[in-house]
Amino acid sequence: MTDPVSREGLDRRWAQLMAAGQSGDRGAYAALLGELLPYLRRFAGRQLRAPEEIEDAVQDILLSLHQARRTYDPTRPFRPWLATIARRRIADRLQLLGRRSVRESELVLDDETLWGEVPNTEENVFRRRDVAAAVASLPQGQRQAIELLKVQGWSLKEASTMTGMSTTALKVATHRAVKSLRKRLGGGHG
Amino acid sequence: MADPRPTEDLIARLAAEAVPVRPLAPPLLRSAIWLGAALVLLATIVLVMGPRPDLADHLSRIDVLVPWLASITTGVLATVAAFHLTLPDRGEAWRLVPLPTLALWLLALGASCYSDWLRLGPDGLALGTSFMCLATIVLTSIPLSGLLYAMVRHGASIRPWATALTGALAVASLASAALDLFHGLSAAVMVLVWHLGSVALVVLVFGAIGRHRFARPVAAHV
Repeated sequence: MTDPVSREGLDRRWAQLMAAGQSGDRGAYAALLGELLPYLRRFAGRQLRAPEEIEDAVQDILLSLHQARRTYDPTRPFRPWLATIARRRIADRLQLLGRRSVRESELVLDDETLWGEVPNTEENVFRRRDVAAAVASLPQGQRQAIELLKVQGWSLKEASTMTGMSTTALKVATHRAVKSLRKRLGGGHG
Repeated sequence: MADPRPTEDLIARLAAEAVPVRPLAPPLLRSAIWLGAALVLLATIVLVMGPRPDLADHLSRIDVLVPWLASITTGVLATVAAFHLTLPDRGEAWRLVPLPTLALWLLALGASCYSDWLRLGPDGLALGTSFMCLATIVLTSIPLSGLLYAMVRHGASIRPWATALTGALAVASLASAALDLFHGLSAAVMVLVWHLGSVALVVLVFGAIGRHRFARPVAAHV
């Protein structure tokens, strides 16, 4: 892996596969993404700890690579192009994790000041578990839509690419999921 | 949150929808196309508004010509930088490219203010209002930004802030250079405050809007 000749050879190979992918050669493109997978997992693993976070970051990178594939110039090296996208998406993921941890700690602090029909007692600590259980009980399509769009923050287009569902179907599934979660959790408001 | 689908599935899906795409034209060519369109638009505006009657004399003054050329060069370099910044294999340093001429523009206007002050005393720095400058630069920047966004959005969303700010700087600098040709501000301090103030406003507002447009959403809000 540290041999400069093989690194150059690999870069040339990836550049060729990418150029073929740009021309619509799906086999070459699938081969390229497959070959990048272990490389990207190692790359993401340098900054992220949890395996699921690494996998999420790798998916972010693959989606970005796919969306940005017109920006690759086949006459230029492939690795620097890929590395910038990878670094950017990992930085986004780290930022998201930071925001998420801040929000979660704020929620714990705010639990006792939230307005609700039920008194704000420590029972509310269990509420998050109820929400998780309610989400888990949703039909598969609705659960997937909620998790991708509302929990993980993917865009409609990205979630559509990942699931194969149309954006309209995703919107409908999200709407129904929110409705049924409200009903199940007994909150008419919000 | 557990992985909703294995990454291998995502790869299969991405490969299945990999329709042929044409690589983007070189960034210098795309910059030239946008600059050409901007030139046509700005020339039309100058002609419609009518060039200032003393244009030749105005531009023959070194204290006018230097900041004017600096504003155009800043616009051109910021355009080229914005197009390069959306390409992942081009360096971060592109964001710095328009800064030297921007600094020259500021310095040249500052020097003009100083010479007005030496020549006219405190009256030379009397500041009036010129909402015409603000309105012209903001209104001119709208179509230019729209066109630039339409071209730049084909790039990768990797440096949203840098792309949006350099793009807004390009648009506002060129709008300011065009304004110089038909709007007769004579006091340097007025040009400094109203032209550069409008440019700064456009850079901040359009930059903030552009930053969101170029960014890829990752935030999770339940």
